[in-house]
Amino acid sequence: MSLILTIAAAAAMFPAVLSAQDAASANSETENISGTVVDASDGYPLIGVSVMLEGTLHGVATDLDGNFTLDISSSPCNIVFSYVGYETVTLEFDGTNASSFSRIIMKGNALELNDVVVTGVYERKKESFTGASATFKGDQLKKVGSQNIMQSLQTLDPSFRIMESAQFGSNPNTMPDIEIRGKTSVAGLREEYGTDPNQPLFILDGFETTLETVMNLNMNRVASVTILKDAASTAIYGSKASNGVVVIETKTPAKGRLQLSYKGDFGVDIADLSDYNLMNAAEKLEFETLAGVYTDGNGDPFNQVRLDNLRNDRLKAIASGVDTYWLSEPIRTGFTHKHNLYAEGGEEKIRYGIGLSYGGVQGVMKGSDRQTLEGNIDLIYRTGKFQFSNKLTINYLNTNDPAVSFSEYAYANPYYRKYNSDGGIDKYLYYPEEGTDDYPVTNPLWNAHLNNYDTSSSFGFTNNFIFEWFIKDYLRFRAKFGITKNDQDDQARLSPLHSMFDDLEDTEKGLFTQTMIRELAYEGDAAVTFGKLIAGRHMVNAVGGFNFSSSKYMNYGYSANGFTDDQFAAPSFANNYPEGDSPDYSETLKRAVSFYINGGYAYDDRYLLDVNYRLDGASMFGTGNKFRNTWSAGLGWNIHNEAFLTDRTDFFQMLKIRGSVGNPGNQNFSAYQAFTTYKFNGWMTNVFGTGVIVNELGNTGLAWQETINYDIGTDITFWEDRINLTFDYFWKDTDPLLAIISTRGSMGVSSVAMNAGSQKTHGWEATFRISPVYRPHEGINWNISINAASSRSRYADIGNSFSRLNEEGKASLAGTTRYYDGGSPTAIWAVRSAGIDPATGQELFIKKDGTYSFTYDVNDEVVVGDTQPKLEGVVGTTLYYKGLYIGCYFRYQLGGQIFNTSLFQKVENIGTQDVYNNQDKRALYDRWSENHREAWFKGISLVQTTDKSSRFVMDENTFTGESINLGYEFPDRMIRKLKLSALSFQLSMNDIFRASSVRVERGIDYPFARSVSVSIGITF
Amino acid sequence: MRNKIISLSLAVLLLPIMSGCGKWLDVQPYDKIAEDDLLSTEEGFMMLLNGIYIELNDDMLYGGALTVEMIEIMGGAYTLGTDDSVWGNYNDIASYEYGTEYWRARFDETWNKAYSLILNCNQLLSRIDDSREIFSGDNYFIIKGEALALRAMLHFDMLRIFGPVYTRHPDAPAIPYYTGYTVTPEEIEPASSIAGKILADLHEARILLSADPVITEGTRMESQGDGSSDFLNFRSLRLNYYAVTGLLARASLWFGDKEQAFSYSQEVIRAANGGIFPFVDRALVTGSPSDPDRIFSSEVIFALSHARRNELFNDYYDPSRLPNYVFRMDNDMFSNRIYGGTDTGGNADDYRCRVNWIATGSNRYFYKYSDMASTGNIRNTMIPLIRLGEMYLIAAESQSGDLSAGLSYVNIMRSNRGVGNLASLDTRMLQYEYIRELYGEGQLFFMYKRMFTPVLFSTDESRNPLPSDEIFVVPLPDSETQN
Repeated sequence: MSLILTIAAAAAMFPAVLSAQDAASANSETENISGTVVDASDGYPLIGVSVMLEGTLHGVATDLDGNFTLDISSSPCNIVFSYVGYETVTLEFDGTNASSFSRIIMKGNALELNDVVVTGVYERKKESFTGASATFKGDQLKKVGSQNIMQSLQTLDPSFRIMESAQFGSNPNTMPDIEIRGKTSVAGLREEYGTDPNQPLFILDGFETTLETVMNLNMNRVASVTILKDAASTAIYGSKASNGVVVIETKTPAKGRLQLSYKGDFGVDIADLSDYNLMNAAEKLEFETLAGVYTDGNGDPFNQVRLDNLRNDRLKAIASGVDTYWLSEPIRTGFTHKHNLYAEGGEEKIRYGIGLSYGGVQGVMKGSDRQTLEGNIDLIYRTGKFQFSNKLTINYLNTNDPAVSFSEYAYANPYYRKYNSDGGIDKYLYYPEEGTDDYPVTNPLWNAHLNNYDTSSSFGFTNNFIFEWFIKDYLRFRAKFGITKNDQDDQARLSPLHSMFDDLEDTEKGLFTQTMIRELAYEGDAAVTFGKLIAGRHMVNAVGGFNFSSSKYMNYGYSANGFTDDQFAAPSFANNYPEGDSPDYSETLKRAVSFYINGGYAYDDRYLLDVNYRLDGASMFGTGNKFRNTWSAGLGWNIHNEAFLTDRTDFFQMLKIRGSVGNPGNQNFSAYQAFTTYKFNGWMTNVFGTGVIVNELGNTGLAWQETINYDIGTDITFWEDRINLTFDYFWKDTDPLLAIISTRGSMGVSSVAMNAGSQKTHGWEATFRISPVYRPHEGINWNISINAASSRSRYADIGNSFSRLNEEGKASLAGTTRYYDGGSPTAIWAVRSAGIDPATGQELFIKKDGTYSFTYDVNDEVVVGDTQPKLEGVVGTTLYYKGLYIGCYFRYQLGGQIFNTSLFQKVENIGTQDVYNNQDKRALYDRWSENHREAWFKGISLVQTTDKSSRFVMDENTFTGESINLGYEFPDRMIRKLKLSALSFQLSMNDIFRASSVRVERGIDYPFARSVSVSIGITF
Repeated sequence: MRNKIISLSLAVLLLPIMSGCGKWLDVQPYDKIAEDDLLSTEEGFMMLLNGIYIELNDDMLYGGALTVEMIEIMGGAYTLGTDDSVWGNYNDIASYEYGTEYWRARFDETWNKAYSLILNCNQLLSRIDDSREIFSGDNYFIIKGEALALRAMLHFDMLRIFGPVYTRHPDAPAIPYYTGYTVTPEEIEPASSIAGKILADLHEARILLSADPVITEGTRMESQGDGSSDFLNFRSLRLNYYAVTGLLARASLWFGDKEQAFSYSQEVIRAANGGIFPFVDRALVTGSPSDPDRIFSSEVIFALSHARRNELFNDYYDPSRLPNYVFRMDNDMFSNRIYGGTDTGGNADDYRCRVNWIATGSNRYFYKYSDMASTGNIRNTMIPLIRLGEMYLIAAESQSGDLSAGLSYVNIMRSNRGVGNLASLDTRMLQYEYIRELYGEGQLFFMYKRMFTPVLFSTDESRNPLPSDEIFVVPLPDSETQN
């Protein structure tokens, strides 16, 4: 925070220095008072604070160390300290109390960013707002980590979660799933919709934007981020708001002389392979031997000799020291460097800012990187009652992904050598002799060393224009128009030498794929804002407006094959299109319009009321339901402003209770689901020509998905701001759910978008902060914070609607998600297991009625766990000591369960093909045998399949070093010597360790990373 | 007052904006064909109708499963080998084991495909009445009539597969009947109630199709040739007036109404005698052995047009497939019952034998769907679904309670097959005639089911499955019962 202040202060310095000289030239016969003005929050000196003799034009400004000297000719008099963004301090000088001026502490006033709720449509004082929201300033986020905004928000706010992907790990090019206060939509539908139906709405500078844009945004450009959680705060976004809203404001240029700032982040990412527990060469060979790989099943003596030789060769290799660690091959230390340069300045009428950002992120896998280049021009022009502001951002993105997934290295057996005796790479680690049933084993290094590429580049711009007319000090009109255009081109090429083409003709080898994506979105908005304090007690706020938006998405692609050479990779060297292939083309156009009204009323800052109404129309809903109403209401009571409290004590700085209810909706759904569409039956024509048949059956009666959202919460601050508690209890009822429902065959379509059942969620979240040491005057502050969240969801009234998903889940290898009334969306369904019967080595199941059986019956499935932790959150501590800052945040997750797929797939269920892959160490140990009957795992077998049972469900409790930071802001004296305005350093470590009660492979296709980075900030 | 003015002016202001927004929100997809775009022209309706006819050629329907493959095995037409690696799942269906995973999935696919085409018919029917003014000539009646008939035909065949043996259990639960757009499923109804709906659709179709040019101008199996629309040509590739009449004859007999069956079959026979569906020209059968009209195309009342019909031959009957599976008739059955033997009406001179059964080694193979030498001929694309011979057989069976009185119908047909008269007619003799006339066209299983007699797999009576509900009634598919 102090960084911002420094900049702001520096911007205000120019006039301040002038007035200080004025003061010096005044007469000196009278009494002088002098002192230092400091910031209450961190004890930093405040520069350029105006120090005035009340009722006169006589005054000075504090200097670069926050010092001032004011001469006073007569006493008593009042001295007024004022500063933008701070509460004005007035002190009486009676001629004797000069010492009480030696240190003046100024508190940030109510309009400081933290205390304002920015909804993107209107701003409201947090004290008088009834919604549940949280606001974080840019450098607050930066202090937690420099990766991206999302990572930092997750640490700071308990309701905000990035869903960890065991599949994609820390791949910098995979967009995460993000949730605020859990899910509102049926999971498992992402595939059908293409969009994540649980993703919150992102608003950047007042305009809707995409997750990817937010992820690419250079953190140093961010002024503030507000998370809107409950109905009272989100309902202004109506039918897009049920998953919560993230409102991001970028910095606007400050006035003053031209000022240049540079922010740099330099980091390293190191792969975290601690979750892998693979066998070494000797263990693997022993496992294979026990599994019968080297025993001919038919007793064929010739084949047995061959197998014996094969085993002996491998034994020899192991004896000679071969124990290859394949996981290290695709891994590297990823270097990240990000730069942000921003020049800003201007005067009353025109302010300008020009920025350039570059981000180069190397993933921890070789060949994986992401580069962003972003230029922005901010202009603000103000004349009289009119203000025009324009933000233009131009961005370029380039990404590369490795051609060989991490899992292939995890599969490679440790008894193979990476390189042949000449140091070269062989295509096969093992190639079976003619006439055997063995499969050839490809060397992952071979496919990786070929001339493959998988690259994507995009170029786009966003221009947001805002016109404001300050009709009266209480009445404002604002019109906005934003346009975003983005062109993306993806190209991927697989070399003809890649092992996947082994069975193809030479003229069909190799594959080139090109995809083009074109996006165009625009949004317009006009609104009138009213805000007035009437008769000193009635604070009335109102906003009414109209909004329209349109977004068009086009995806076009084709493939080509028939490369004859590895080296020459241009698509011009392709010979054909794959047989029977045709170009891919899809296009969607979504449009929406809405009218909205928001009203806020506060009586004497004690009794608070907020209401919202919004009428939405959207093109993707059925003709029968094109429009939908959203409403919300919130009530609040500021007890700390009540006379019965203020008369007795000033113990409470805030004591507020609030509650809200509303019905925000969700329109993260596919564009044409309400339409019946047709397609050509292109496989045949006849004498009558071509024909068409129904492609998808639309549901014109489709109703919008909406979520009734209740929230009650309290904000408490006491003991001179040292203890701060925010608590919210919420419950949500999404009714109706919108889902793709499997239908009876006789309906003529296998599925149709329908409204089915509901999902009910209730939960709570809390943030608690205490400052055991709180000496703002000296710049010393120690905070301990803990936040926690817990929620539970269940389905209701869904009946048999999801039977197809249930059947698919039952049939799939490790699918444990089911959709039944009363069940939780995150529940793990499996048959209960009583363990392995010591006598027979068979698994003993517990049937639904509690009896035991050796026979697995999928109908005995019950809930055996829930992946949603019972409690999760972050504990943290921060310490400010003068310019030094230390922050540590640790995430805990307690009381959840996990279906351990590593045990399920890499210990048991190793089939005749899987045995050629390396497996989990535990596949060798604790297996049942006649000599080891008390085992947790069945006997080693290649033909036995293991069914999903509670034996693989484990309690998962984790503790993660999410963010550890060390920062230092150089004191002014040193900075001035360097002729700078501000200089800071920060060291951050993210996800530096992770302790879990379960050992399960994470990062299947891409490993997770630990990252360490250094950030510097320089303002000239 | 002032409030009133405000709300009034607000309403005046907002109303046009709202209606304008409604239009603005009315987005039509570009990468797919939107219903409103498609069904705004006569051509759109024609394309949708043609799309349904084309899809009937699907492997899971009349392009395989319901003509030459699954249903014909159930009808005992083929002799199968015992080697599972060659014959795969076919022995299961030959012994009516409907519960295997493979066949459950197969019946699922057939069911889903049939009902998806019923959905297409219903989409067409739900829109056509609102757009009557866009149709030229009698096209409205033709299109609507054919769509109704297609809907009835598909339901009827699902009823014949999954429904009860009708004359024994007319009120047993059978299938659902869909007549319109719905996002909630229809319930399963008793067979008798389905029968009523099938007949109602066919009756309405027949009335609409009284405008069919086939009545006055015949099947017109040639293109206009001048680039103008062929929509009203090639009538035997469409469910024309007589095809619907033939379907009514077939359905009436299924539902046990012999009187109606006789009357409808008579109407078709009369029209055929009038020159619309003449018996096959002897010269096309015996005169040009290298280029015979194997399907007797002039007698075909309704056929599908399958652009690659020879796949039926190549995939199932072609002896060059050996040692892979090849469908053919049991040798004993062939030479001692169907085309030989005493007192069975079998004769190797039968046109149906001469053009369609060719010997390779000691076995005869079935060439009905093999291409004729002259390519590009419309006959080479036809998969017959209703033919004149069946009308004669229906007439013979339904003219009275006494089967022998129908002998003359069988004999008229036989005389046009180059073989002599039968002396008498009983059920078994009629069934042999069915096998000769309709082999490879998917009707034999339904014949046995309707008559509730043993399925004539073999000359060894002990091997022929006895009639039972277990073999004749296929359980409803999983996709119907589990959702």
